[in-house]
Amino acid sequence: MEKIKMADLHTQYLRIKPEIDDAIQQVLTSTAFIQGPEVNAFAQALGTYVDVNHVITCGNGTDALQIAMMALELQPGDEVILPVHTYVATAEVIALLGLVPVFIDVFADSFNLDVTQLESKITPKTKAIVPVHLYGQCADMEPLLAIANRHKLYVIEDTAQALGAEYTFSNGTRKKAGTMGIIGTTSFFPSKNLGCFGDGGAIFTNDTVLAEKLKMTANHGQRIKYHHDIIGINSRLDTLQAAILQVKLKYLDDYARRRNDAAAYYDLALAGIAGVKIPHRSGNSTHVFHQYTLTVERRDDLKKELEAAGIPTMIYYPVPLHFQKAYARKSFGEGSFPVTESLSKTVISIPIHTEMKPEQLAFISETIKTFYTT
Amino acid sequence: MEVLFNDLKKLHQSIPELNEVIQRTVSDFNFIRGKQVTQFEESFKAVLGVNHCVTTGNGTDALFIALRSLGINPGDEVITPAFSWISSSETISLCGAKPVFADVDSQTYTLDPDRIEEKITDRTKAIVAVHLYGQAAHLEILKKICDKHHLFLIEDCAQGHLTLEYGKYAGTVGEIGAFSFYPTKNLGAYGDAGCIVTNSDTLAEKARRFANHGALLKDDHLVEGMNSRMDTLQAAVLLAKLPHLKRWNEMRNLNAQLYDQLLDGIAEIILPLQRPDASHTFHLYVIRAQQRDELKRWLANYGIQTLVHYPQALPDLPAYHYLGHDKGAFPVAGMLAKEVLSLPVHPLLHLDAIQYVADRIRGFYKK
Repeated sequence: MEKIKMADLHTQYLRIKPEIDDAIQQVLTSTAFIQGPEVNAFAQALGTYVDVNHVITCGNGTDALQIAMMALELQPGDEVILPVHTYVATAEVIALLGLVPVFIDVFADSFNLDVTQLESKITPKTKAIVPVHLYGQCADMEPLLAIANRHKLYVIEDTAQALGAEYTFSNGTRKKAGTMGIIGTTSFFPSKNLGCFGDGGAIFTNDTVLAEKLKMTANHGQRIKYHHDIIGINSRLDTLQAAILQVKLKYLDDYARRRNDAAAYYDLALAGIAGVKIPHRSGNSTHVFHQYTLTVERRDDLKKELEAAGIPTMIYYPVPLHFQKAYARKSFGEGSFPVTESLSKTVISIPIHTEMKPEQLAFISETIKTFYTT
Repeated sequence: MEVLFNDLKKLHQSIPELNEVIQRTVSDFNFIRGKQVTQFEESFKAVLGVNHCVTTGNGTDALFIALRSLGINPGDEVITPAFSWISSSETISLCGAKPVFADVDSQTYTLDPDRIEEKITDRTKAIVAVHLYGQAAHLEILKKICDKHHLFLIEDCAQGHLTLEYGKYAGTVGEIGAFSFYPTKNLGAYGDAGCIVTNSDTLAEKARRFANHGALLKDDHLVEGMNSRMDTLQAAVLLAKLPHLKRWNEMRNLNAQLYDQLLDGIAEIILPLQRPDASHTFHLYVIRAQQRDELKRWLANYGIQTLVHYPQALPDLPAYHYLGHDKGAFPVAGMLAKEVLSLPVHPLLHLDAIQYVADRIRGFYKK
């Protein structure tokens, strides 16, 4: 059996190697390395794919969040609500801009922001909510948007892990992750569902005025060259990366299907094992399975056992945001966010990618089953 | 004749192994912090003779990370030239600090050391010096001023790769030097890339941490930071190009010398000054010209690309209106914005092209 990996980007690349190599060669020939035509072409194609009016590309997913918050003119002292069970980037950008992160716990089943607690977190200083579509599944956007509208709060969707996921509203309207709030952000980190060959990111919006502002913020505050109207940053998607992404975007739905096939296999094989909870599927969102994340008993022992069998696993995330040393100056006691604290001890993500082999899926499932039944 | 401002195609073709290098890096499939990133950091710091090199996503990030690593905070003031690319002041604002503009020297276009001390207050924390166009700022004098007033010196080396003053490389005199490897720089990547260099272990660690979400190890976020990385692909390109940098700088110097000779004696233009005690890497060959905009159009009609670095003094930009400077408060910067014109000077520029450009300039003022 082939060595099992958390992500097998190399095999994925080999399947479309001629196309990718051509795209790279074309950029090397044109040498338009910064803002070459491929950047705009990719932005257009991605806009069509997620069905949004404006796509602004940038240097990485963290920058995307920063640019979003700068363009919305959030001011030092403003409060931004975000789930406490997530990657550090979201909180970090908030802090970088002098904003105040306000943590909220997540649902134990979907791992997404607990909307039932949302109103209790809103104060007169609250300006925005950042739902993170964790592991590839949309947060409860309909109730979240209703609350945000009522309180006139911006919604910035962190779509780094859920590009392509689709949410269905109660009236039947369907929208892609990242296009429901005022702004959506995403990342093209190599191992993401749509990954480039380095760092990259993008921002979505349907608001034309805001789109202009986002573009300026990402480009030193310039509307036209050398006319700096506002303070900005420098954050660009390299032409090389855009050319690669343009090729890969065509396969994104196929990649999601392959990930879902693997997830369906795991669901069947692991359902009903005492001590193991398979990932819950939200009724109104598709899942693009950036991660397949189990909630298990004796998590650390399982991890060791799997490792010994040659099966890599990851813990997303072992330290809840409110316990990170970076936030040590603020006091959050044990039990402040019970669901997240429990998840940090019980979640485990097992290998899922576009190149999983049936025998690998069988072996991984079997090894987990054996661990809990013997 | 068509004279390009930069010729990256020709430059790419002049290093045949680059295609191979890129293909190999793609095959390695280690796109984030691959071994080439560390190898480049090692090589670049060895060339400069400095203890640490920390790579970043681009040159602007490098400056921002430098300022943050030195603890520049809201309420602080940082002195920076009134004439430069916006990054050297924008990054100060991003820290929540106040950019305090100082005028530049009318001979070298870098910070005028005589205009610094009047700007120092008890809130001043640092000076950002820019090695504009490739010529070292008055580093030794600036360093003395910084030492006297207990200020940090940050060097913006985006245009000064391997430029020297009194035998010391730009980037190695102040606390931190910040570099850009934007594709058209003297050492350019094939996308965005940058780095900081420093001799301080503490600052290097702070910068490395800050550029990587505040963590040196996975999930160990000791402080809040940002995400700014040099792609492995870009590090591989830079590694392949680094051995050529000195030669390219020499070629730029030869081009500059030829311009100096061919343009000598035209009363309406001022040629760039080369300080005897410093080298110039001629990232840009910038003349000051009467009727600048007409000259620019005239040259364009003859197929000659020129650029203006920069058409406005920084304090005059709308982004800095909030500082409330009077128009004309920085007379040298204001004058330069009206007069400067950058002529093509890239390393693979043909001698005939330089002759052609010089002839057309001469022709313009004789018409």
